[in-house]
Amino acid sequence: MEADSRQGECWRCGAEVRDALVCPGCQAVQPLPADLDYFRALGLPRRLAVDLADLERRYLDASRALHPDRFQTASPREQELSLAASALVNRARRTLRSSVARGRYWLELQGDRLGEDSKRVPPAIAAEVFETQEKLEELRAARPGPAAEALRHEVRTLHDGLADRLRAKTDELETRYAAWNGDGDLVELKRRLSEIAYLTTLLGDLEAALGGEETRGTDRRH
Amino acid sequence: MGRIVGIDLGTTNSLVAVLTDDGPRVLADPATGERLLPSAVTFFPNGEVVVGTRARELAGERPFDTILSVKRFMGLGPEHATDEDRRRYRFDEAKGGVVRFLAGGRSVTPPEVSAHVLRELRRRAEAALGEPVTQAVITVPAYFNDSQRQATKDAGRLAGLEVLRLVNEPTAASLAYGLDKGAEGVIAVYDLGGGTFDISILRLHAGIFEVLATNGDTRLGGDDLDARLAALLLEDVPANDRDRPDVRARVLAAAERAKRELSARERVDVAVEGGDRRSIARAEFEALVRDLVERTGEPVRRALKDAGVTPGDVREVVAVGGSTRVPLVRRTMETLFGRPPLVDIDPDEVVALGAGIQAGILSGRRGDMLLLDVVPLSLGIETMGGVFSRLIDRNTTIPASVKETFTTAVDDQTSVDVHVLQGERELASDNRSLARFKIPIAPMPAGLPRIEVTFLVDANGILSVTAADLRTGTERSVEVKPSYGLNDVEIERMLEESIDLAEEDVRQRQLREARVEAEIILRATRDSLRTHADAAVPGEAERIRDAMAALEAAHATEDYVAIRDAVEALNRQTEPFARRIMDRALTEALGQRRLEEL
Repeated sequence: MEADSRQGECWRCGAEVRDALVCPGCQAVQPLPADLDYFRALGLPRRLAVDLADLERRYLDASRALHPDRFQTASPREQELSLAASALVNRARRTLRSSVARGRYWLELQGDRLGEDSKRVPPAIAAEVFETQEKLEELRAARPGPAAEALRHEVRTLHDGLADRLRAKTDELETRYAAWNGDGDLVELKRRLSEIAYLTTLLGDLEAALGGEETRGTDRRH
Repeated sequence: MGRIVGIDLGTTNSLVAVLTDDGPRVLADPATGERLLPSAVTFFPNGEVVVGTRARELAGERPFDTILSVKRFMGLGPEHATDEDRRRYRFDEAKGGVVRFLAGGRSVTPPEVSAHVLRELRRRAEAALGEPVTQAVITVPAYFNDSQRQATKDAGRLAGLEVLRLVNEPTAASLAYGLDKGAEGVIAVYDLGGGTFDISILRLHAGIFEVLATNGDTRLGGDDLDARLAALLLEDVPANDRDRPDVRARVLAAAERAKRELSARERVDVAVEGGDRRSIARAEFEALVRDLVERTGEPVRRALKDAGVTPGDVREVVAVGGSTRVPLVRRTMETLFGRPPLVDIDPDEVVALGAGIQAGILSGRRGDMLLLDVVPLSLGIETMGGVFSRLIDRNTTIPASVKETFTTAVDDQTSVDVHVLQGERELASDNRSLARFKIPIAPMPAGLPRIEVTFLVDANGILSVTAADLRTGTERSVEVKPSYGLNDVEIERMLEESIDLAEEDVRQRQLREARVEAEIILRATRDSLRTHADAAVPGEAERIRDAMAALEAAHATEDYVAIRDAVEALNRQTEPFARRIMDRALTEALGQRRLEEL
């Protein structure tokens, strides 16, 4: 994609566009500004807490204006700009509507990453992770029979409990974001996200160990 | 600019539709009134190609030359053909890459076969609309991967159509339903066609049709139900006929008819060749196919889970595809969603009608509607240790893009190999290979180069890749070699051939064929006159020679009608003579036998 320069004027009609992805004057899609973040792309305030209904509304409006289906008869340049802009708003919405993905993105915007140190199991859940992994090992090694069935039952209980807790932790994230009402506490954010990342992997392991049949049961319960 | 048409390129049948002021309309063949075009193509050794109903009828007679359900082979490699496929067709295994059928003495790829179906639909549309048609929207199963989509686009190109958009079939169907209902809320589209199964969960809000999740099975459809029933019917066929491809094709056709009749009746009688009539009860048929129909349950559950909804959240379930006429399929849908499916629109036509609406959206006639679709399967690359590393997750809204930076593992590498894959498995080798390419880079110590690879999935669900060497700042366009597709050179060659074929005046071909026919009959007559001169009655040889002279004169002209007429005249003259020779030969043969018997 070409790196277009923007001076805040529409490339086609010269009207003032500032941050808008579509020219308010002639509806032409604008080149993406190099430093455009996901919040600005959707016209949202740059804050951890996001009004999800507002996000959806803005996303749908942007899609109506930017989607390639709207530019089928336009020039190749406009088609290319529409493709780039709608791919961006799609990615922005996908990231911002999930509290976990939004939190990670927030870290990135602050020049931080949930990278290396998340390889260490967060201390608060270390014991749980360890015990669960051990249980899984036992289940994998168990020969079919009543003992294996009992183990399976235990693993299934672990799975259900973990799924509930993970949901609660994710919901809690949103509450914290609202309470922070601004930049938030990066250290605490990182700790929470790291815990969630770990528990998500663990839940995946439990699901895999239980196999398709059991997972189907979970789906029905939701 | 002509009108954009919407095409449902189906496994069993194909249709073409347009958006009119009164809504979408399927275009029938003005000559026959047919709305459905069977997706069947017969290749004759003389170069003639027959498409549609007649081709489907020819399957019993010319099984190898008649390709049915070609959609099942789109975007696949020869290694994906099943044993049954190999019994049914002959494949050209000489070249790797894409599947090639040997039909009518030619080697043809699935996109070329599909192009014949598309060309016929285009002809119908042009005849019905009275104007040239050059642009189309074509539908594909939602669960089609990148290769299968690319193959469909190639087919359109080969048929002389600019494919403006590939639309997922269930999404298209939702457009047709949503249009007159002004619906809001979550709907599910259950699409069981001839060869593929799709399930899509959509949210409708204020004219926007947003796909939340899609799932499916590209090798499950009505064809599989037919195959089960055909296997049962084959048991009645004498053992040494069972492997004959013509017998198999006829039994399969009988099974398909029986399946359809069983949707309306409790019991049908089927005539099987070489065997007695067999009576089949609906319950017996259902027992045969139950596991196949139940296989749709797992994709449905996965799609609901990915969409984050429960069956209770689904306001309507839409039935699409001819196979949803099967009562067992409808009952299965009802069990899965807890409500009977909507069947207001003909399940054979609903996808084409939706494609017609999408064509209208693209031409700017329906600015109030918009489709937001998703990538059906995750896209990614192979990383160290053969691991599949996802760059774009399944059910991501398209268009979608992602950038990833890579580096090298060895000093002074001059290029980086990238293997692009699609699928949900952990290991690269378990997923579908889409393409491999090399990114040339400036040599540097290991770990220093920074290569930025951008994946971009367009609104058709088709992936393109670009790469930039961030250290040198040079952007390079990547030549992607499709693993199971046709490259541009091959497409150009096929296009040239098909243009040759179209541009070669029909008259020229007719002339060539008429001349060959004339030469054959002239030679045969000359031989007969020499060896059987005594069989001619007085004056007959002269009359025949006159007719031969007339034919030779016609042969020298360019007028194929005159040649044909002269061939016929000669045939009429030689007929009594030929019959006499035949009688004599028969008498001789019988006479000899009598002698032998004595």
